[in-house]
Amino acid sequence: MSSSISLQQTVHCFLSNFQLSPKVPLPGWRIITGRPQRIRPLRASSSLAEAPPSSFPLFQQPPEPEDLTDSKLEPVDPDFYKIGYVRSVRAYGIEFKQGPDGIGVYASKDIEPTRRARVIMEIPLELMLTISQKTPWMFFPDIIPIGHPIFDIINSTNPETDWDLRLACLLLFAFDKEGNFWQMYGDFLPSAEECTSMLLATEEELLQLQDHNLASTMREQQQRALEFWERNWHSDVPLKIKRLAQEPERFMWAMSIAQSRCINMQMRIGALVQDGNMLIPYADMLNHSFQPNCFFHWRFKDRMLEVMTNAGQRIKKGEEMTINYMSKQKNDVFMQRYGLSSPVNPWDVIEFSGNARIHLDTYLSVMNISGLPDEYYHNKLARDGDSFVDGAVIAAARTLPVWCEGDVPPIPSKERKAVKELQEECQQMLMEFSTSSQQDHQILESIMVEEGGESRKRLETAIKYRLHRKLFIEKVIEALDVYQDRLLF
Amino acid sequence: MASLSPTLLYQDRGLRITAAGDVLVAKKSPFHPFQISFAGSFAAPIWKSRIGLRKKSKTTLSYPCIKCENSENKENEENKENAEKKEPSIKHVTVERFPYYSYLDSTSGQLEPASGARASIPGQDYWPEGTASRVRAANAPEPSGVPSGSSSFGKKPGSRRKKYNSPASSDSSEVSVVTSDELELVDDGSEESKDVSSDYVVYETEQVKENLTEYELNKKLGLPHPFIDPKVKKPIEEALTSDELWWNWRKPDKEQWSRWQRRRPDSETVFLKAMAETGQIKLYGETPTLTETSLYRARRHIFKEERLQAEQERLERIGPLAFYSEWVKAWKRDTSREAVQKHFEETGEDENTQLIEMLSHQTDREYRIMMGTDIRIKRDPLAMRMREDQIKEIWGGDPVYPTINYIQDPDEVIDFRGPDFHEPTPNMLSYLKEHGKIISRDELDQILANEKTEELEVADMDEALAQAIDIGENDDEAGDSEAEEEEEEEKISRNWSVLKTTPQPNKSKPKKDDMSLEEAVVDSENLTDFLLDFDESDQ
Repeated sequence: MSSSISLQQTVHCFLSNFQLSPKVPLPGWRIITGRPQRIRPLRASSSLAEAPPSSFPLFQQPPEPEDLTDSKLEPVDPDFYKIGYVRSVRAYGIEFKQGPDGIGVYASKDIEPTRRARVIMEIPLELMLTISQKTPWMFFPDIIPIGHPIFDIINSTNPETDWDLRLACLLLFAFDKEGNFWQMYGDFLPSAEECTSMLLATEEELLQLQDHNLASTMREQQQRALEFWERNWHSDVPLKIKRLAQEPERFMWAMSIAQSRCINMQMRIGALVQDGNMLIPYADMLNHSFQPNCFFHWRFKDRMLEVMTNAGQRIKKGEEMTINYMSKQKNDVFMQRYGLSSPVNPWDVIEFSGNARIHLDTYLSVMNISGLPDEYYHNKLARDGDSFVDGAVIAAARTLPVWCEGDVPPIPSKERKAVKELQEECQQMLMEFSTSSQQDHQILESIMVEEGGESRKRLETAIKYRLHRKLFIEKVIEALDVYQDRLLF
Repeated sequence: MASLSPTLLYQDRGLRITAAGDVLVAKKSPFHPFQISFAGSFAAPIWKSRIGLRKKSKTTLSYPCIKCENSENKENEENKENAEKKEPSIKHVTVERFPYYSYLDSTSGQLEPASGARASIPGQDYWPEGTASRVRAANAPEPSGVPSGSSSFGKKPGSRRKKYNSPASSDSSEVSVVTSDELELVDDGSEESKDVSSDYVVYETEQVKENLTEYELNKKLGLPHPFIDPKVKKPIEEALTSDELWWNWRKPDKEQWSRWQRRRPDSETVFLKAMAETGQIKLYGETPTLTETSLYRARRHIFKEERLQAEQERLERIGPLAFYSEWVKAWKRDTSREAVQKHFEETGEDENTQLIEMLSHQTDREYRIMMGTDIRIKRDPLAMRMREDQIKEIWGGDPVYPTINYIQDPDEVIDFRGPDFHEPTPNMLSYLKEHGKIISRDELDQILANEKTEELEVADMDEALAQAIDIGENDDEAGDSEAEEEEEEEKISRNWSVLKTTPQPNKSKPKKDDMSLEEAVVDSENLTDFLLDFDESDQ
């Protein structure tokens, strides 16, 4: 699922269709993100869009966007659901579709808002791969035979940090185990070429991130995986271990799958309440969104994972079902673990060093943001036509240096000065990047036009990551502009 | 005039009622007194309406006026008028009870059957927990559609995803356009599941080949075919012996270590054996096999009527006397038809009288067997003809409280408790003997004899001791005697309270007199005891 979230699709959706674009993780905010000047190059790149680029995206939305998305999204091979269906997986009112960015889950009919959460998927425990988070290692279902050397490998990991290594071992073992469900399900996982996790990235792609911290973190991660593989898959290891991952790439792939698809949940089995790292088929095809419309629920009674839609939320046919992978995390954490990034992450952070501050309450009221700092949300009802506020603006409310002293009103001149300083600092940050966002767009475009290389996925992702960072900073600059415009005298 | 609504009656009692309803109101009755007619017969307790005499009319009129006070009085009047206009004759209303128990369901507002298939299923809100999800899961439509490609079984993960990076490869394979109503994962399996159809492209990478043998083809098409593929079919290697065909779980006789393990004859086996004895069937082995038993079970069910018919024919053929004499052992006379006829000519007793005479010699057990009074004995002609020991083998002789073989179920779970579960420890007697808990009669007699002599000895000696120890605390007569008795039982030298609560067997004191020093040392518990004893004897 991580792999399927990517800017390319997102941006593409912004232009061509914004009402029903299923790939866009943030239904509420996507409208504004598609600013004309950024969109244009991409639109041109996608050969599907015939309408000439115009600077008024709002006016061009009506011409049937559904067709475009539908042409992009194809149903997954029917076997994908069938193999689960015969093992009592159930999916209600949804369908799995695959676009160029991977598989996603889409509503196949309108879901009316109901009082109670609605089940859209049920996945039995028997199909999952699960390890307890702490020792003693317990596996549900217990597929590892007693005395199998893979257990010693799992046992040798650090209980605190190495959950991904354990899960990767388990996944590889499941692939090797006769009759395991994951042998069949694995065919629908993203292959090493498609996987966007930076674990598999080359040095060149890591440099493309334009983020030293993240790049070095990823290098460490790669090193860690490689060392683990060398330690446990050396030449005189028994065959039943050796054939799990003949070459390190296979293990790296399994680890990236484990990292990007792991679901940490508390499950209750009988009287046992257990924190587990779980790989859950079908549920891991749900994509991420900061405003999700689904969540997971462990049904204790028959040991099933239920995916439920939020109570009281209307979901239109064709909309994507999403869940929130992690909350309160910056883009680099998402990138590190899931290989995804978003320009509208409401928890993204910019480090400001200057003394300039703007007035918090004024900013919030200007942007129509309500709620406590931890749960800021855009109050849409107040202003219908406003499509400016998105996750980035909310993130700005959190990350901008602000002041607030009771009822003391802001002095406009001071505020403007502060805004100017902050904007300058942002510009400074943008300048530090070796490429501008426009250049990034062009690079992306050229990559997509090439369309040849199969390892382009990660390159795209890396470029999108830095692009999203720049988009975020630019958005903050714009937000400051708006703030200064709307300041009341 | 049908003044009573059937539902009212139904709710009241629901019995069959024939109501003839020319119920006239009192106002009219004085003028047409003779029109009051109750043609129907009311079951008094059922008829709920109160029948009362009106005081006023009673005073004014000499005729008793009857008024039916019903809850539907007004309707009655209206109906009555209408009915009088149209049809003055009597109308019979029949209310019949439904053939099932029912109740007035307050949710549906209708009479609902209380149980059974006709009962309506309550709404989803009333289902027990978890039912809704199970129904939903069961109703989820099975995914349809033709899969492309096949599983790599973990070798090539991601192999079945659609490839977007290489459009060239997709061009090469055959392209066919199908309508896609497949993969509709729609809740409720409702009607909208099928209406969405759009064209999309499916790449056929594999040709499905059908190489069916004739047998498989027949099976697929549903044509008549043997149950097992004749090519695959193999002859049965070797037939099991009859002993092996017996219950598989049976332990061989030699290894039996519990009486629970022995073969318990079940009724059918015994029946079959009996049938084989009388030559009705032939058994393969000594004991009927499982197959034979089940065959018998089926046949008994199927041919029971036939056999009863045969019995009846036999009864008619040989005459009742001969037929029933089978169950009258005491009847030694000739029972053939000729003999009966002859007897009739001699004494004038007809066949029935003779039969009664004969049956009066029947014992109650014979009678019970004959009549099949015991419900566990199927009224099976064969069962009536089984030997006593065979019947006992099944029912243990006593039909009411069978003592033998009271477990007859062949599928019973074997009791794996130890072989001596029901029995005392076999060497208990010797154990008790060893520990001195039990003695033989001779020893007992000897001890008793000894005790008698001892008692005499002890008595006079205790007399002296009692006087010596008596310190005059209890001077009264009763206390004195008690103290004496105590002294008789045991001689308490010290720590008497302990001895009192946990009495120990009497040390045989008298022996001590002629004990040597060594013996005395051995006999007493410890040295102090010995010394104390020594002191006492000195005194």
